Amino acid sequence: MVAVGKQDALLAQMRKGTLQYCVLSLLVEDERYGFDLVRSLAETDGMVTSEGTIYPLLSRLRRDGLVETTWRESSSGPPRRYYKLTKSGRAALEAFKSEWGPFRDAVDHFVERKA
Amino acid sequence: MSTTPDKLVDRYVKHLEVELDDLPRDRRREIVDEIAGHIAEARAGLEHESEVDVRNILEGLGDPADIAEDARERFEVRPTVQAQPFKPGWMEVAALVFLLIGGLIIPMFGWIIGVVLLWVSNAWNVRDKIIGTVFVPGGLVLPIGLALFSSSVAGGTCGPVISGSGRAITAAPCSYGGTSTNYFGIVALIALVVIPIVTTAYLAHRLRQQPSAAAIA
Repeated sequence: MVAVGKQDALLAQMRKGTLQYCVLSLLVEDERYGFDLVRSLAETDGMVTSEGTIYPLLSRLRRDGLVETTWRESSSGPPRRYYKLTKSGRAALEAFKSEWGPFRDAVDHFVERKA
Repeated sequence: MSTTPDKLVDRYVKHLEVELDDLPRDRRREIVDEIAGHIAEARAGLEHESEVDVRNILEGLGDPADIAEDARERFEVRPTVQAQPFKPGWMEVAALVFLLIGGLIIPMFGWIIGVVLLWVSNAWNVRDKIIGTVFVPGGLVLPIGLALFSSSVAGGTCGPVISGSGRAITAAPCSYGGTSTNYFGIVALIALVVIPIVTTAYLAHRLRQQPSAAAIA
């Protein structure tokens, strides 16, 4: 059915659009490396369908200056690239949060309304 | 022969590199390195690594083609082959038919219809369209017309040619072969028949290529 296909595409787009803010949120407390970020995201169902797509996103965030990276030695293997929130990354996240809250509530208000 | 985990990982990373081919080099390197690092990290966390474990790690990462598509979207890279919403249909077939023999169906205008359809269609690029237009205007009308014309002209030169003064200058023989200019004419005529056919075949060939090229994108 066409409608279902469109809905899937819409959900995929929404996921894609919001994923970067989930990643930025995970970096608020501490810097983290890629595998660790992926593991955290994968713990929540429905957020990431293919883990590999996190890496293009991380690369993009770095290029946009929302995160910065540092290589650090690892106790268990080769060095890891750690991602850290930048000032503009923090600002982008705050801006998103201020929009997202009311938006989510507004959508919930309609779709969760008891018939 | 069973596939070893190393081979699986190797194949996956190579596949990913190929899929990311149209990304700028540094971005491709960064993504491939990070994903290779992810695989190494995940494998290091396994107690006893089995082929199934490695397959599950790769499965979790997802299809390299999906990752590449995501990456292209993130970096606003358009696929090298532009995906046009296009399927060869009646318009393309009609364009080819009219280009080749349209002039025979509707004198003159038939070919023009073919040219219009050729340029309107999304199936061909500008180079193909120019080729289709230039080789050869009129399609098969030109050689057939020339053949009819030259035979009638040749027919007309049979018999005595009368000069203005009314005196018979020469009794021209009824043959139009044998001279080198006529050989040239025949070669030109054959070329005029062959070129439009070759052009049409070429355009049809391009038509066949297009959908698969779009499918890659």
